[in-house]
Amino acid sequence: MKLKRIAASLAALTAVLAACGSDSKDSSAGTTGSAAPTTAASTTAASTPETAAPTTGGSGSGDSIRLWLNGGDTPDEFVNYAITEFNKIHPDVKVNFERQQWTGIVEKLTTALSSSDSPDVVELGNTQAQAFEAAGALQDLTAKKADLGGDDLLQSLVEAGTYDGKFYGLPYYAGARVIIYRKDLFEKSGIEIPTTIDEMLAAGEKLKADNAATPNFSGIYLPGKNWFAALPHIWLAGGDIATQENGKWVGKLSSDESVKGLTQLQEFITKTSGAPKDGDDSKDYLAFCNGEVGMMPAPGWKPGQITNKDDGCPDMEANIGVFAMPGDTAGTTAPAFLGGSNLAISAKSAHQDLAYDLLKILASPGYQKQFAAQGTIPALKSLLADVSGSEGAIAQAKAALNSRFVPSSENWAAVEASNILPDMVVAISGGADVKTEAAKADAAIEEILNG
Amino acid sequence: MKSSLTMEQIEGIDVRRRRPRPLPYLLLLPALLALVLMLGFPLIRLVTLSLQDFGLKQQFGAPAEWVGLKNFREILSDDQFWQVLRRTIVFCAVNVMLTMVLGLAIAMLLNRLGKWMRLLTMTGLMLAWSMPALTATVIWQWIFDTQYGIANWLFGRQGQSWLSNPLTFYFVATIIVVWMGIPFVAFTLYAGLTQIPSETMEAASIDGATPWQRFLDIVVPSLKPILLILTSLSVLWDFRVFTQIYVLQSAGGINRDTNLLGVYAYRTSIGSSHFDRGAAIAIVMVLITVLLTLVYLRSMVRQEEL
Repeated sequence: MKLKRIAASLAALTAVLAACGSDSKDSSAGTTGSAAPTTAASTTAASTPETAAPTTGGSGSGDSIRLWLNGGDTPDEFVNYAITEFNKIHPDVKVNFERQQWTGIVEKLTTALSSSDSPDVVELGNTQAQAFEAAGALQDLTAKKADLGGDDLLQSLVEAGTYDGKFYGLPYYAGARVIIYRKDLFEKSGIEIPTTIDEMLAAGEKLKADNAATPNFSGIYLPGKNWFAALPHIWLAGGDIATQENGKWVGKLSSDESVKGLTQLQEFITKTSGAPKDGDDSKDYLAFCNGEVGMMPAPGWKPGQITNKDDGCPDMEANIGVFAMPGDTAGTTAPAFLGGSNLAISAKSAHQDLAYDLLKILASPGYQKQFAAQGTIPALKSLLADVSGSEGAIAQAKAALNSRFVPSSENWAAVEASNILPDMVVAISGGADVKTEAAKADAAIEEILNG
Repeated sequence: MKSSLTMEQIEGIDVRRRRPRPLPYLLLLPALLALVLMLGFPLIRLVTLSLQDFGLKQQFGAPAEWVGLKNFREILSDDQFWQVLRRTIVFCAVNVMLTMVLGLAIAMLLNRLGKWMRLLTMTGLMLAWSMPALTATVIWQWIFDTQYGIANWLFGRQGQSWLSNPLTFYFVATIIVVWMGIPFVAFTLYAGLTQIPSETMEAASIDGATPWQRFLDIVVPSLKPILLILTSLSVLWDFRVFTQIYVLQSAGGINRDTNLLGVYAYRTSIGSSHFDRGAAIAIVMVLITVLLTLVYLRSMVRQEEL
């Protein structure tokens, strides 16, 4: 019967299909390094900016190196400068610049740095660097520290870049989280810059009410996955993420203090935010450009991203203001998260010398000056004076005076990669019970930090 | 030399049938070798990983310690693993059921449509099928976007976060998985339907069989072999769903409450750098998949015996 033959040949065909399918999925789950998930490719907006073209036609092997920088923190012009400088020393070496997303970067670095075609120079968040230093994924730069800036390097980032007395991660830039706001909307609503956290909540509510005609408007833009925004609330209330007691990490998110802070955050979100309750902050500058934001907590370089020429809104510049998030009483600030990045050379890089030359350019005053001009805190102390002009820099400096950091552990990167904190804040944003969610997060964090 | 050997073999087959015949096995060898290389190595690596203490340090070259079945004990005593497993089974069952029912319905529709409408429907199905899972997921996720999605606009539900609630998260995921699964099922069943002799159907209707009776007593039994195989294949596919869930989780939603087995294994191994435990989860997954495949193979073998 014909039907049987169809079924049989179908079975044969589909068996083949099934075999093909099973291989890619099962192995990506277990054997690392072989198969990154398909999404990795999509979220990687790989761009290769114009470089001074290699002058010679076929010059030997090893004539290209790969540079990974993350997020929108480093504008393309900065990178072009670095590549031009690099090509002055090595005219026949091509620098392949690949821009990565911060979201999922730990997973991506885990697979990329251990593979045979590892990128040569990578950027790591200062909360993530220790994990890779401890694992031996990065090249030891201890002997070259002086050559790279030595004592001129920002101390807090040097600490993030040092593990077990050895120096791996070169400070790249720093930034305290601040509040970006719309000057024109403040004026229209007759609001002054808030001096206490209660005033900030009131300002957010008023902005939301006054701009109700704008769809999705946020008095304070707080997407659920932006867990960084939860930290000042937790710290201000006297809480913390986790502390070390007798050599063991103990989760503190469900402590009374932290719960108080998180409850305050929940109130902020319900009363003022129109941001997606499960969204992240990677597109917040677009919401800002869209006129949907009154205030938003963000890193100091955010105004630069808002006014970028590609997909930002340069004409918004005059309306962007920056202030340090206020504390409980006038004149104080809420503890700010001290963010920043480190640069490192992959231990597996086949071009150690070339990578080092590129690294040196990225740490040079000429390159770092660009950060200062942008309002980002450069990695070199000698350039700090250059930043002091702008409003953003003043706000950052003020915030940095009262800044805190995530638990200092080589396992912290795994906490970030497990999305424990975003999960918690998303749940709280959706109206879940704060104490219950915090306790769940505590248990998960303890399990990871204590190995 | 090569050709002469082959000639000998061929003659051997023709003349002395009872002798062991190495040629078929020889011909199988290249394919077998490729399979061993492609599947064998990752599988062995997976098994070794699951028996070792393997974290980020080991990934970058530190020697790994053998720990026996510790990783398996850990995952099997973890509530979250069982939750994820239950969730995966329910998700798989719902999706396979929907895919099969809707696929069969569309196949029957194709059988009744006129030439042009059928061509149009088939083109649509083809397009849905040929779209990469990643692209499809991203597009569906845009449709259900909290702020700018067309779904919220259509239903007038401004600001509804589809992905933040696990139930609506699975609703969106199910739409994507079923949407992508239907074309294959529909095409195959349609091919089967065209083989049912119209005389049989006509005779049945003359004898007074209602459309429903004709469906149950003629169509379903005739399609049974194909239905069986398609169901087992869909089970295999939907059990290991990864891309759709992973992408939706990055767009929104709470990872902890929406993980399915494939994503859970990935997050455990690569996300939290517990490659050892991730491998153990993957092995449990492989075992379940093998069990399901056996069911599939059995129905295939029976098929040939008919």
